[in-house]
Amino acid sequence: MTKPTDLVQGTLDLLILKTIALEPMHGWAIAQRIRHVSKNVLQVNQGALYPALHRLEQQAWIQSKWGESENNRRAKYYSLTRAGRKYLQAEESNWERLSSAIGLVLKTV
Amino acid sequence: MRQVQSIVHRLRTLFRKQVFEQELSDEMRFHLERQVEENIASGMSPQEARRAATREFGGVEQVKEECRDTRRANLLETLYQDLRYGGRMLRKSPGFTTVAVLTLALGIGANIAIFSLVNALLLHPYDFRELDSLVRIWENRGIDEGVDARWIAPADAYDLYSKTRVFENFTTYREKSFNLARDGGVEPVFGCAVSSSFFDVLGVSPALGRGFLETEQQPGDDHVVVLSHGLWQQRFGGDSAILGKSIKLNGLEYTVIGVTPPKFSYPVPSLLWVPLALDPAQTMNRADLSLMALGRLKHDVSVAKADAALAAFSRQLETEYPKTNAGRTATALQLRKEQYLYTLPLFLLLQAAAGFVLLLACANLANLMFARMIGRQKEIAMRSALGAGPRRLTQLFVSETLLLAVLAGTAAITVSFWSVRLLRTSISQDWTKWVPGWDGIQVDRTVLSFTILLAIVVGLLFGLATVLSTNGLNLSKTLKEAGPGSMTRAKGRLRSTLVVTQVVFALVLLVCAGLTIQGFVRLSEVYAGLQPTDVLKVEIALPEKSYATNTRITNFYQQFLHSAVAIPGVKETALISNPPASNVDSGTTFFTIENRPAPKTNETPSATLEIATPGYFPALHIPLLAGRLFSEADTASVEQVVLISRSLAARDWPGEDPLGKRFKLGKPDSNEPWLKIIGIIADVRQNWWNPPALPTIYRPFLQAPQRGMAFLLRSGSNPAGYVSAVREAIRQLDPDVSPRGINTLEGEVTDSIGIIRIMGILMGVFGLVALMLCSVGVYGVLSESVAQRTREIGIRLALGANPPDLMKMVLGQALRLTIIGLAIALPMAFAAGRLMGAVVFGIVRLDFIVLAGVAILLILVALIAGFFPARRALKIDPVMALRYE
Repeated sequence: MTKPTDLVQGTLDLLILKTIALEPMHGWAIAQRIRHVSKNVLQVNQGALYPALHRLEQQAWIQSKWGESENNRRAKYYSLTRAGRKYLQAEESNWERLSSAIGLVLKTV
Repeated sequence: MRQVQSIVHRLRTLFRKQVFEQELSDEMRFHLERQVEENIASGMSPQEARRAATREFGGVEQVKEECRDTRRANLLETLYQDLRYGGRMLRKSPGFTTVAVLTLALGIGANIAIFSLVNALLLHPYDFRELDSLVRIWENRGIDEGVDARWIAPADAYDLYSKTRVFENFTTYREKSFNLARDGGVEPVFGCAVSSSFFDVLGVSPALGRGFLETEQQPGDDHVVVLSHGLWQQRFGGDSAILGKSIKLNGLEYTVIGVTPPKFSYPVPSLLWVPLALDPAQTMNRADLSLMALGRLKHDVSVAKADAALAAFSRQLETEYPKTNAGRTATALQLRKEQYLYTLPLFLLLQAAAGFVLLLACANLANLMFARMIGRQKEIAMRSALGAGPRRLTQLFVSETLLLAVLAGTAAITVSFWSVRLLRTSISQDWTKWVPGWDGIQVDRTVLSFTILLAIVVGLLFGLATVLSTNGLNLSKTLKEAGPGSMTRAKGRLRSTLVVTQVVFALVLLVCAGLTIQGFVRLSEVYAGLQPTDVLKVEIALPEKSYATNTRITNFYQQFLHSAVAIPGVKETALISNPPASNVDSGTTFFTIENRPAPKTNETPSATLEIATPGYFPALHIPLLAGRLFSEADTASVEQVVLISRSLAARDWPGEDPLGKRFKLGKPDSNEPWLKIIGIIADVRQNWWNPPALPTIYRPFLQAPQRGMAFLLRSGSNPAGYVSAVREAIRQLDPDVSPRGINTLEGEVTDSIGIIRIMGILMGVFGLVALMLCSVGVYGVLSESVAQRTREIGIRLALGANPPDLMKMVLGQALRLTIIGLAIALPMAFAAGRLMGAVVFGIVRLDFIVLAGVAILLILVALIAGFFPARRALKIDPVMALRYE
């Protein structure tokens, strides 16, 4: 299990935002989705996930709503706000710039 | 928009806390259950699935706390929560809270009271407009003659004002005492004759009526008077129609033209003001320094600049009028600073003592908090385990101690309002009327902000110290430890350290406080050498008009002494120019010793000059050390003689016999006659601020008569009973001469050190408070440490130890710790005493009695502090003691 510090905070935020960009999701599903999509490479710890969710909600990038889960329980669903969507776009392009820059450095040296 | 959303969200969590908490729990539970389902689906047994899910999740409470943390970006909520928690903790241990709040309240309260005093007396002694631009002006003759000799010649005053261009306005005045006729009798009243600009210069306008007009400065037109608010209230019942009415002063009719605002008195303790009416000859007088002066500087002129301008102008006057003005330099000093002159070190000492008390309170509290912290280590460990980070813990403890400090501050303010009122009203007006600003002592805004600041600083300090002391706490170890009764080696050592530290603090601070108190006690005994009992003092000033010649003056006084000595019961009578404890500095004079090489101008010796009749020395029991006293034969027609004080003899005739030697007054070129030394007199303390021995020259009255003299009368008993007889004797000689300043010498002595006594009382109170705090502190820490051993004592009792031996053991340990503390503290206290002695020279002196007394006292307290808890522990049933927690 990865410790929260292994995932840079900004990166975790980005992953969460991207994951819920398609549809509203609850915390457990977000963690699962990230794990599946990353083929078990990125394992999000609850100790990092929930504080991050609460922080993002606090900053109004995302909003939450209680709804019915796939197993018919009450669950808290997170979705992007309008500001969050814009923020995600900006952060995505930032990330791409950054990772291609790092890629360039790693290849040439 | 996003910001608004964010704020709405935060407020929602703040005000709907329970909903938020519920949702947080639900969210966590959902996650766990979902994981359990998932695990079951992947083939685990239900129990296994739950265990795995829980393990993977980690600490639910820690995650929750972190989630809460993200919401708490706004301090308000945490603060509210912490304060509530702090309040709960304080309520839970009322004993600790009471002691802590009382200790702090005492410390802070003492500081408020003294700061109020300093604030009023030093920072705002007078309620005048722009006090800082008011300066006292006087002409210095090259020797320091003290505050009371700050005089200026009328003509010089006029020139200084009109020609130096540094003053916006200028006033001259002269203190004067009046006999106010009331209901058939007369009442002496302090007053002042002032020039017409007086009230304008001070920036004070009469509350009723008006100030003086320029025309009222003409002799003959000057029979108008302004009353003080107090006099108007007390003697005239606040009569609103007082203006225009006539009152009788010194037998003459004066028309009341004004009443000052309340609390106004300048120069203290004046209660009424009349115009200063000088005839042309007096106005032109440059020879006699006869007036006091006060100037208001122009806005762009600093005191230093004014002083320089005055000095330069004095040189100009010197060349113009060498006969009168040689060696004179006009000087300016801020009125506010003049107040400091003698009392500043005393006030500093007092403020220092208040500081000590606060320090003591803080030291006590620190120890108390620390002891409490040991008890709370488990709680802190639990909090850390539940996810409280260092920042959160800091915030928690700081809020708790802040709450404590605020409580204490509130209590202190309440107490200080009360104590300041007590301070202001409980001390006799006879003492306080001489202290400018006394009526202004109050807990004002400055004082309150000072207190709040103090409380916050103390609170923060303790909160932070508490947190620091818990740093590096080992969680699992602390949690595993048994109850507080268990005695680990480290804990025992810590407790011993606490006791020793407390003793060290107590001793050092108590010694400092003790030395200061003792210094004040010594100051109030400055006149110990004087024997003022059974002596009456009456001041007589012969009017210049009818007593123009020396013969007339000596005739009056000789006849008066003659009739006074005949009053039944009178033992001795005498005249002296300035009696001891008059709170007035005596005049100082240069002198030149015969047959000695002329000294450089700035090294001409000087001494205090007194004029006395032969009876003065026996009347006050001042011993003659060598030679003879004056006699009635030392008249103007024979060789001029003098007596000198022992300090003068030792200073200017070291290793020589001064008897028979001669000197003359003034510089080497003076035309004064030679004076032969006929005797040496013991030193007498003049005023409390003077050194105990002031080099003094005494001239016989018959050879140097002057109009104003103080008459002293020694009787067998009850000197005040001779007042009417003395008055009658004077009246029979000349009904126009009115005696004034009538008081017993004992009363004079008491009055003259009024301010010192006030401070002495305050210091005594501080000493008591300090003593109490120290005792409570040592007692608290020691008894706490004994109480924590209740369980150990129970075990020992159960194993068959006999109670007296156990008591001996406990007391022995208490004593040992105290003595270790004393051993560490004594050198520190010694050093601190030396340091204080160096700072406030002459008042504080290291004293071994104080040192030893404090040490013995602390040992006593330690024994008592050990005895009671030990006895309690011994009385408990061993089974109970074992369970004791």
